Amino acid sequence: MDKAYRTIGKSILRTDAVDKVKGLAAFSADIDLSSPPLVLKVFRSGIPHAKIIKIHTEKALAIEGVLRVFTAKDIPGKNLLGIINKDQPLLAADKVRSAADAVALVAAETEEAALKALDAISVEYEKLPAVFSPEDAMAADAPLIHPKGNQLAARFVKKGDVEAIFQQCASVIERTYRTSMVEHNYLEPDAGIGYLDVDGTLVIYASTQNPHYDHKEIVTLLGVPDDKVRIIQATTGGGFGSKLDLNTQGFIGLALYHLKRAVRCVYTREEAYLATAKRHPLTIHMKTGADATGRLRALRAKIICDTGAYGSYGIAVMSRAAVHATGPYAFEAIDVESLCIYTNNPFCGAMRGFGTPQIAFAHESQIDLHAEDLKIDPLQIRLLNALRPGSETATGQVLTHSVGISQCIEAIRPYYESAISQWATAEHHPYKKRGIGVGAMWYGIGNTGVQNPSTARVEMDLSGAVTLYTGCADIGQGSTTILTQILAETLGLSPEQINVVAADTQFTTNAGATSASRQTYISGNAVKDAADKLSDVLRTEAVNKLRVSKKSLVFADGCVAVATNHEKCVDLASLAKRIHAKGAPLVWQGYFDPETVPLSPTDGQGIPYGTYAFACQMAQVVVDVLTGEITVERIVAAHDVGKAIHPENVKGQICGGTAMGIGFALMEEFKPGETKSMKDYVLPTSMDMPEVIPIIIESHEPSGPFGAKGVGEPALIPTAPAILNAISRALNQRIYTLPANLERVLDASIQSGHFAGRKK
Amino acid sequence: MKDFAYVRPKNLVEALSFLHEYGHDTKIIAGGTDVVVDLRAGVIKPEYLLDVSRLAELKGIQLRSDGLWVGAGVTLSEIFSSEVLECHAPALKKCAATFASKQIRNVATIGGNVAHCSPCADTIPPLVIHDADVVLASINGIRQLPLEHVVSGPYTCALPDQEIIMGFILKPAAVTHADFQKIGRRKALATARISMSYMARKDFRGKISFFRFSLGACTPTPRQWPMVEELLAGKVPTENLIWKAARLLSEKMIEITGRRSSTVYKEPAIQGLFVKMLYPMV
Ligand SMILES: Cc1cc2nc3c(=O)[nH]c(=O)nc-3n(C[C@H](O)[C@H](O)[C@H](O)COP(=O)(O)OP(=O)(O)OC[C@H]3O[C@@H](n4cnc5c(N)ncnc54)[C@H](O)[C@@H]3O)c2cc1C
Repeated sequence: MDKAYRTIGKSILRTDAVDKVKGLAAFSADIDLSSPPLVLKVFRSGIPHAKIIKIHTEKALAIEGVLRVFTAKDIPGKNLLGIINKDQPLLAADKVRSAADAVALVAAETEEAALKALDAISVEYEKLPAVFSPEDAMAADAPLIHPKGNQLAARFVKKGDVEAIFQQCASVIERTYRTSMVEHNYLEPDAGIGYLDVDGTLVIYASTQNPHYDHKEIVTLLGVPDDKVRIIQATTGGGFGSKLDLNTQGFIGLALYHLKRAVRCVYTREEAYLATAKRHPLTIHMKTGADATGRLRALRAKIICDTGAYGSYGIAVMSRAAVHATGPYAFEAIDVESLCIYTNNPFCGAMRGFGTPQIAFAHESQIDLHAEDLKIDPLQIRLLNALRPGSETATGQVLTHSVGISQCIEAIRPYYESAISQWATAEHHPYKKRGIGVGAMWYGIGNTGVQNPSTARVEMDLSGAVTLYTGCADIGQGSTTILTQILAETLGLSPEQINVVAADTQFTTNAGATSASRQTYISGNAVKDAADKLSDVLRTEAVNKLRVSKKSLVFADGCVAVATNHEKCVDLASLAKRIHAKGAPLVWQGYFDPETVPLSPTDGQGIPYGTYAFACQMAQVVVDVLTGEITVERIVAAHDVGKAIHPENVKGQICGGTAMGIGFALMEEFKPGETKSMKDYVLPTSMDMPEVIPIIIESHEPSGPFGAKGVGEPALIPTAPAILNAISRALNQRIYTLPANLERVLDASIQSGHFAGRKK
Repeated sequence: MKDFAYVRPKNLVEALSFLHEYGHDTKIIAGGTDVVVDLRAGVIKPEYLLDVSRLAELKGIQLRSDGLWVGAGVTLSEIFSSEVLECHAPALKKCAATFASKQIRNVATIGGNVAHCSPCADTIPPLVIHDADVVLASINGIRQLPLEHVVSGPYTCALPDQEIIMGFILKPAAVTHADFQKIGRRKALATARISMSYMARKDFRGKISFFRFSLGACTPTPRQWPMVEELLAGKVPTENLIWKAARLLSEKMIEITGRRSSTVYKEPAIQGLFVKMLYPMV
């Protein structure tokens, strides 16, 4: 039963909407300073693996308008970056490990001078043999990319005796799946601007998903005290995970430190393509066994993640892929080995889903293969195996609440049944085949088995005005709106009455990364915690005035009132003054960290996440058997988000995620060395979008703010599996490598006899 | 990107005199949808950009005594909404439907599409089936050349620096069937992997009495496919016959290009697209 909420569950005007519609929102490239900033440009290696012998910068320095050319030796602190493992220098010192490695940084008065300087820099290298696939990198005689070896890390998840159970299974399926390297393609290429404050603080505005991490890295990089660096998130035009790395921020910090003049660094689209993280391509060998009724029993998988030249979020991708290998299904026995391997490819990092979109392609293909093998309906086999309260996951976590996968599957059913009975048979075209496919997923909210707390501060002034201070970076997904709603609801205010200071390290405390679909759940809880504390002092004080018990008091329109009689009330301003007079605080700090238990390094047992989101999507596709073209006609997407704080935002995420999922399924592939810009990278346009029917499922999460979980990444995860399963139903031939592009689909059409069948 | 001067002549004569003097250092710009991309990438570094997009002499679509006139400055959007083309060059009109995106179509011109000489240019196959001539102007006068002579190589146009494409003269055709088909990697803003166009007439006995065909994006330059046309001429189009012609087409294409990695896809896809395109004739 929903309480009558004032703002929760309402699609209020987003906090950023008016400024964005009016063009007032200032992105890093737009921010005006009193004097024009210097231009920073990065010189990159252009070769995949080499020792640096000497860097020649003299000619560049002689160019008019060039102020400085920085190299690794100009870095005063620690020249090593990385959020999980530190292995990436800001500027390469002794060797380069990918063609995108930064070797020198130019600061010039104009863009023209900076570009000329790039042309004038030359580097003497001693070339080293390079490897471009994890298989080659794991070979015994492979060149070492990093001193500790080419295997960055491994994650094992083990439970039960897999082999013994396979022996007893009626259906055993073993296949290999491959996924492509993908570029994020956020609208705003990476950018930042910095200046020196009057007190000598280095102030950096950046397009970022994690200002507090940026702060820590830059302080270490420069070897300066914490209070000498201030990071402010500028309006950010999307990130999808790639703006979790330090992209321009480090360069800005370094130049500011030395030159003490305002500087700006803006990537072109080409540079964003070349130099920022990509989605990890995964190779997944998976074997699963089911009994004759379709019940899944055992799973074995070997997962290999190509992390490219640097770790970035690679270890997280490796772990998450392993933990999610079962999909939203219960298995008795598991044996997963997941490896993260260095190569000389562009580095791979976080991208919407951290390995889950890749692994979902495998587990959803496997379950469909079992369904075909055992002649069970795809929806039915998913329902049969779906996790439910009381189920134990691969890591031994017993789920207790908010396991909405069955509801998601059931929500799809009416669409699925009518699509089968009507749509699939509706039009008969000799060269077109129709297919209906289903994909499901689960996704742990927050980081995997590690602490990832958020904090927030809520402050009331003597006029009763409320300000929220949060470190949470809203990168366009709408977190500021959500946090405002949570705070407003708790204090009975309307969201417009709340002031927000967000993602400025001088005024806000750490809210962790905007990633892992964690901000609504984790930062939402931190805000709620602070708001509850303020609410408690306000109501305590109101007791003195209204002379009724605290529990009979509620917030109503800027007052604390007696629940049964709103006439009896006291306004927030008077309460604030009274509390202040007593010396009690009007500023409260909130904190939340999901209850997790670190995963055991040997068998991966533990509690990786506080809660999970679930989803099931259905795709209706038309395959042109003569050309390999695919039309996705409809996606029905049911997502269990716990509670939709802002339903339109949830739907927006689902539709956007679907678009990204279509790209992942059918066309997106970044080819290192070949792909330079959007000219040669195919991502979906609005014309490729099908009808999307988002369905919100609310399976209340007791530990979430107002029952909420998350949806940012889940939105995309089931789309590709649903589409691939639909293609396979249409052609009777399965594709095991993403993307299912023209070549692969036509090949499948030929293999299945649909093409040659016309050859009379 | 290098600095350049932007010149906008008031009329054709002014444009031609400018080219006479500065043609060597000038890049003509119409819609700019190829030129601006090349400027940014540094592929071209002209001193002058000569904007011909507003020249009245390069506009208009009309049926004239010498044929069907399509001005070089006609945009793809204008092509798409032309009733004259609907009637006399339906395949050309059709190619505008899937050309780039609406925003691009609103500025991109047919003259620019041809002069850029991309093997993937969408307007070329329809122009070829209409035996289009290119009308060229310089201060020395006007001349007319077959399209295949102008599009002389991939991205190389056989035009001297002093000349402007004024427009195209097409043989209008009274046909019963015509189409343009293209395979792209997505539904809009897609470079053609393969494109093709045809027009045909079926006589009262159901036989093909007239057939013209052209293929895009597969060979370095546009060409005729007489063997395919001959195979179909005078016959009743059956599914079998179309497949036969399709296989002949892919064989001939491979004779020209040799086998490459892309042939694995293109060989069957050319057949498939051909069959799909001609299926309505069956
Ligand atoms: C996003 C995008 C999508 C695209 N999609 C497609 C597509 O689907 N199909 C397709 O075929 N093309 C496509 N193109 C390419 C381009 O849009 C077309 O080639 C277009 O027709 C070029 O016309 P324009 O008027 O813009 O030419 P411009 O860029 O102005 O000029 C192109 C060339 O023609 C020359 N030129 C122009 N007019 C004349 C003239 N009158 N006389 C002599 N020379 C002249 C110029 O000097 C230049 O060399 C796409 C381009 C972009 C940027």
